[in-house]
Amino acid sequence: MLKIRLRKLNDVAIIDCSGEVDLYSSTQVREALVKELNSDVASVLINMADISYIDSSGIATLLEGLQLSKKTQKRFGLYGLQKNARSVLHLARLDTVFTIWETEKEAVEKVPSTQPWAGL
Amino acid sequence: MPMPHPTILRMVINTQPRLLHILRGVVRYYAREGGFSDSEVNALAVAVDEATTNVIRHTYHGNPSGTMALDVIDYADRLEFVIEDSGPKVRPESIRHRPLDEVRPGGLGTYFIKCFTDGSSYDEAFTEGNRLRLVKFKGSRESDK
Repeated sequence: MLKIRLRKLNDVAIIDCSGEVDLYSSTQVREALVKELNSDVASVLINMADISYIDSSGIATLLEGLQLSKKTQKRFGLYGLQKNARSVLHLARLDTVFTIWETEKEAVEKVPSTQPWAGL
Repeated sequence: MPMPHPTILRMVINTQPRLLHILRGVVRYYAREGGFSDSEVNALAVAVDEATTNVIRHTYHGNPSGTMALDVIDYADRLEFVIEDSGPKVRPESIRHRPLDEVRPGGLGTYFIKCFTDGSSYDEAFTEGNRLRLVKFKGSRESDK
């Protein structure tokens, strides 16, 4: 249902997710986020290009990641959102809370110049 | 193509989160058969997923040994998804989503149910647990096909 792969590009950790994020599979995303946001990288990105479905459990996990990024002072962002994920984030008014890029190239290039999330 | 008569499917599963994707598959199938657009199909999958997730989380407090049922009823003018459980009775008046300007994990499930359906209601007369009915009218569908 959900496959996760972790990789690093310089000082950026990328969490590649493929499949559906729900109550069951969001725990895998959470584990990956906790691991990477507590590591020595400067930035953590979630590749959502292959996430075909996400519900409020998945969104809660992303928000937990955002909160942890503030605590650990890491840059954090998402990229590659598909229509379904984009629409639920927009509906929840979270598409302006997360830093979101279209492509990996753009995300990797621009994330070093962003600031860690300061909270609302 | 609409069904010539209401079609009833009942699925009963244990309250194990790993089974939720099966219910989403059933919802998607019937939503497509009901003529809904791709985005509406996904929206209905989210709505039922949120409702069943709430059963697992809040009615059974994560206990995977509970059971819940999903009924799919296909009417000429609407599709209904009915979620039943045999847990403690929910107080509908106590259910509310978090304010959207409070950025914190959780509290969005009932909001998505409200956004993605044309109505949701608890059957107060159902005494063996909770019975939540989600409705989506076919006449209001989009045309992104």
